[in-house]
Amino acid sequence: MTTNKNKATNGSTVVVNAPLNSKGRLGKEIRRHASVYLLLIIPLVYYIIFKYVPIWNAQIAFKDFQARKGVLGSAWIGFQNFSDFINSFYFWELLRNTVFYSVGKIIISLPLSIILAIAIYECTRPILRKIVQTLAYLPHFLSWVIMYGILLSLLAPADGVLNDLIKLCGGAPIDFLSSVDAFPWVVLISDAWKEMGWSAIIFIAALMGIDVSLFEAAMVEGANSWQRIKYITLPAIKPVIVTVLLLKIGTILDAGFDQIYMLYSQPVYSVADIIDTWVYRQGLLQFEFGLATAVGLFKGVFGMILMLVSNKLVSKMNEGSSIF
Amino acid sequence: MKKFAIVLFALALLASPLFAQGSKDSASAAGSNEPVTIEVWYGAAITEAGPVPDDWVGYDILRDEHNINLVLTALPSNENDQDVRIQAAGAANDLPELFMVRRPVLQNLVRQGLVAPVDDYFALMPHRTEIMYDENAIRMATIDGECYGFASPGAIARNEGLLIRKDWLDNLGLEVPTTTEELREVLRAFTFDDPDGNGRDDTWGFGAFVESDMTINGYPGSRFFPLLGAFDVAGLWSLDGDHLGLNVLRPEFYDAMVYIRSLIAEGLVDPNWLSYRKDDFRAAWKQGRFGVMKEQNAAFAAESNYAPFDANFPDGEWIVVDAIEGPDGYAAIGAYDQNYRILAISQEAVDAGKAEKICELLEWMSSDEGYLLCGWGQEGINYVLDENGIPTAGDLGDMAFSGTAGQVYTQLRNMVFYNSDTELASRYPTYTTAVSGKTMSALATLREMQSKEWIPAIGSGMMPTPNADVFRYFEQSLAEFLSGQKELTPENWQAFLDQFDKIGGGAWNAEGVAYAQENGLVY
Repeated sequence: MTTNKNKATNGSTVVVNAPLNSKGRLGKEIRRHASVYLLLIIPLVYYIIFKYVPIWNAQIAFKDFQARKGVLGSAWIGFQNFSDFINSFYFWELLRNTVFYSVGKIIISLPLSIILAIAIYECTRPILRKIVQTLAYLPHFLSWVIMYGILLSLLAPADGVLNDLIKLCGGAPIDFLSSVDAFPWVVLISDAWKEMGWSAIIFIAALMGIDVSLFEAAMVEGANSWQRIKYITLPAIKPVIVTVLLLKIGTILDAGFDQIYMLYSQPVYSVADIIDTWVYRQGLLQFEFGLATAVGLFKGVFGMILMLVSNKLVSKMNEGSSIF
Repeated sequence: MKKFAIVLFALALLASPLFAQGSKDSASAAGSNEPVTIEVWYGAAITEAGPVPDDWVGYDILRDEHNINLVLTALPSNENDQDVRIQAAGAANDLPELFMVRRPVLQNLVRQGLVAPVDDYFALMPHRTEIMYDENAIRMATIDGECYGFASPGAIARNEGLLIRKDWLDNLGLEVPTTTEELREVLRAFTFDDPDGNGRDDTWGFGAFVESDMTINGYPGSRFFPLLGAFDVAGLWSLDGDHLGLNVLRPEFYDAMVYIRSLIAEGLVDPNWLSYRKDDFRAAWKQGRFGVMKEQNAAFAAESNYAPFDANFPDGEWIVVDAIEGPDGYAAIGAYDQNYRILAISQEAVDAGKAEKICELLEWMSSDEGYLLCGWGQEGINYVLDENGIPTAGDLGDMAFSGTAGQVYTQLRNMVFYNSDTELASRYPTYTTAVSGKTMSALATLREMQSKEWIPAIGSGMMPTPNADVFRYFEQSLAEFLSGQKELTPENWQAFLDQFDKIGGGAWNAEGVAYAQENGLVY
């Protein structure tokens, strides 16, 4: 009899007496744990309907897609759509902007989320912790349409709160949303503000899993707060940080369509236009669905390669920290 | 075993969306007594109100008397979102039987073979055709010699005007400006001389926002048309035989850009103009932020739209003025096209044998019964007829066609209205403002606006559109010049034109010129 040994997340080893080559035993195991498998069905069906079935249609990336002819009936054009995208006038600028915003959001938002999570975790006053948590999560639930209204009230050159302060201090108003220098910062900071609290949840969950006795022992040994964070908290949540980072790298060409689409305008196209906004204008508004799909595939493959390379690097640098 | 059955049941339940679409219409159009289902994607008349209620009597009339099962879906209010929704449905070959569509999207659908030619169907709707589909309307939906939609009159042409705060002029002892330089002086005074007398530096001369498109408005868009019109370059295209083509290629466009840029650089234009959306702009003039603007007649003078301004500034007064004259004597409020709403029939609907029923539906909508029902609701509930036979709200309160509860019954009016005298008289009644007691009429305002100087650009809506990169380069460059990011000098302007030509602007212009000539759009 063979056994499968799976490493559980807490590092212990779980022995499962289920030889995968035995259909009978597998079926028995499934029936035995039917309620657990039932829970699996929901995400499984979701993935099948919304992720795997559409893969069939991804072949239109290689076709001159004609809706009436359908996916199979449309003419095969090879890599023409990919070539059109890569040779488009603004390709390098789009790639630069997209990567800039993705990396910028990781650099700014990720550390802020970790700091917020630790701050909430370390807070000893429950009421204060709950208030801060609620206020930090709240912006996540606002759409970018509403966020645009808020940002306009804050940043408008004529009567925005920030510009009123600048004018009060004797400065000249700045058109934050239409200035190529200011716009990228508006994007990065507003994203951090909106998503920081939500992103912190996963880190708070990881913090909750740390054995409290470690902190107690450290305090007995005379460790101060900073030392506890440095030597216990951060190492304990390192695997989660690496996982989040790797997942974000995998979607590095998704720079946040909703946000950019709402905030950008013609004067800042040069620093605001990203791949997704280009696809919206060129692909969706001009009925170039083959092109739009090709760009989607390009983004997926690019992201997957980056994630595989990053995962390998992480694995080499620190065994056990990689995702797979 | 019981658990396994539960698992199977749950799987079937969750997988059901895969098969949910099923057959689009279980009843065949021909040879069946079952009602024929016709799904219509309509442009809501009042976008902020809800959809047509389920208890709308039109459903019953159509089912009982015409054997039509009408299914209504409102399109998104934003035009780009409408386009995406329709094209996404087109890509899935899942268009509804009848839907409202803009011409650039219609062209895409025609190329894909997704919409049916309708030339043969006008004869099936004699009354509707007589009142709605003239030669120009048919031409609006004609592509490559075949008509692919029913184009009915949309927004009224030349329904916008140049408006100035007369009370500000009076406060500062100024006259109505007639030339670009006089306008500059007025804008300066409005910006720097506290025209509202509140002691605060919170007013600007000119107010605008970017309202651009690829067909008639171009960039910086229609709100700047009175300034561009002073240089004869309002509108994306010039269809004047003497200078046919894209206006941006004319030397006068550079002069207009220099003039507008000088106003912006001097701080005479509300600096929020690049950030405003339409609603922000409209809120701004009602808050008394600027004293000169281009606005639509109803958006300015309809009772509900004027009320906030009336409440904020009971002594305030906007007046419609003549077009401002430029240095070479040109003057125009803007360029105008004939506006049409196009209803297209999907090829699938024709293949399913539903074309005749669709025509029957449209003809009924334009009958006396359908016209009043779609336009104003039910008599006695949503409207009453006055002594001239004009539908009015009477004392019907909230259920009146203009009330919040009643207006949802008129969401289909864009499918039946054709700007008749009855509609205009009903839509724009004369009223007395609540606070200042002024007598206002959006209809009188409309007639006054239409009497001003305009540049004809009939057919601009049919002109070819460029690819997204060319248009982005066009818009971005002009925006950079106007915002001061790029210095507006003859050298930089020429460099812009050279690059524009190189990336496809020249080809776009040539295509447009050829199209205008071939289709008789040149005057």
